[in-house]
Amino acid sequence: MLWRIDPGADEPLYAQLVGQVRLAVARGELAAGERLPAARELAASLDLNAHTVLKAYQALRDDGLIELRRGRGAVVTAAGEDLSLVERALADLVAAARRAGLSAETTTTLVKEAMHR
Amino acid sequence: MTTDRRPTTDPAPEAWRARARRAMCWATAVGGALTLAAAAVAWSWLDELPDPVASHWSGGGAPDGFSAPGSLVLVFAALGLGLIAVFVVIGSVAGTAASTRRLAAAGSVWSGGFVAGMLLTTLAPQRGLADASQAALPGWAFAVVLVAPLVPAAIVALLVPADPPLPAAGPVADDAPRTPLRAGERAVWLRRATGGPGLAVGMVAILVTAVLAVALETWAMLVLPVLLAGLFAAMFAFTVRVDDSGLTVRSVLGWPGTHVPADEVLGASVVQARPFAEFGGWGWRIGRGGRVGVVLRAGEALLVERTGGRSLVVTVDDAATAAALLHTVADRSRAGADD
Repeated sequence: MLWRIDPGADEPLYAQLVGQVRLAVARGELAAGERLPAARELAASLDLNAHTVLKAYQALRDDGLIELRRGRGAVVTAAGEDLSLVERALADLVAAARRAGLSAETTTTLVKEAMHR
Repeated sequence: MTTDRRPTTDPAPEAWRARARRAMCWATAVGGALTLAAAAVAWSWLDELPDPVASHWSGGGAPDGFSAPGSLVLVFAALGLGLIAVFVVIGSVAGTAASTRRLAAAGSVWSGGFVAGMLLTTLAPQRGLADASQAALPGWAFAVVLVAPLVPAAIVALLVPADPPLPAAGPVADDAPRTPLRAGERAVWLRRATGGPGLAVGMVAILVTAVLAVALETWAMLVLPVLLAGLFAAMFAFTVRVDDSGLTVRSVLGWPGTHVPADEVLGASVVQARPFAEFGGWGWRIGRGGRVGVVLRAGEALLVERTGGRSLVVTVDDAATAAALLHTVADRSRAGADD
């Protein structure tokens, strides 16, 4: 899968990795049983500290998305779900937010607030 | 699979030919010297050899094939030179990549050494014999003759020079797909190339040769399943990585592998690979025009066109994502070079 890191973004680096795995699992791009790259390899390719990748993997394990096994590395445990409905609604939301001139941050805050209600 | 248009930003599409010629000259010299030296030594033994000599042994250890000693020497010499010629032609016609020139050079040297070893181990024990039917072939001879020439072959392969850096002379085509990245954003695409019949074929080959060696009680022949196990272990799975440095394809065992620097990428695309039709089999392969194939199964594959007339095919899923990111890092390497 494609991994990306934007050091200029506000989100912490490890959280960026967590978000991508979560999304890939949700979309079915990462299937249960698939192995994530070794922390050292991923860190070297993205010019990150290996601890950053390990922190991301630990967060994913705590969420129950992956299992960390000695010698086998990180293995995806959760299965993806059908997100097509959410993605369609999301496209509508983004279009509406753009029409209203809302920023990405404001829109995200609105979504978070709505979900906490 | 066809390449309709070769990118025109290749600064030296023919430069490999001189390098291939040089490497193949050396490989011919070393391989040919081994075969001819063994033939000369065997020829000097003609007076001491029985006529006919034993030329083939059955599994049990008794000779079951005989021929005239002089013609046996000539047949072996011709076989050695013929095998060397096959590898030299492969290296001269398809040696666009250094890895191919290395393989071809190693192949010629190994063939020369293998035939030399076969000839000498066949004839040496028969010197001074009156009757060739008494001739015994030491059991370990086969293993030694198979393995020993790997040493000069490996040395010659290491001496074949690597490809010098050859950055592309122009930008990646405008209409090639890209991965949109913000300035400063870094990305890597990682995937494992697996599948195909390789594992099953390997298991069967290893099992059959091992059972044969045990059944015939020729223990030295166990070297064959061991060599096969090493070969198949190195070939059954590869990791494929695209990052700022370019494309890296490496066996999960760590070797063999290859790297295409981002600044040497002319273009990448998704193709449908047919391992048997295009590469004559599975694993690390040489295809038409010197295309290097890491082809483990039929189907979706990433084709990378590289400067110096080189190209590489890897059978891997999600190749479109890899191709787009490769174009993006190739753009970045060009921009970096302009500073």
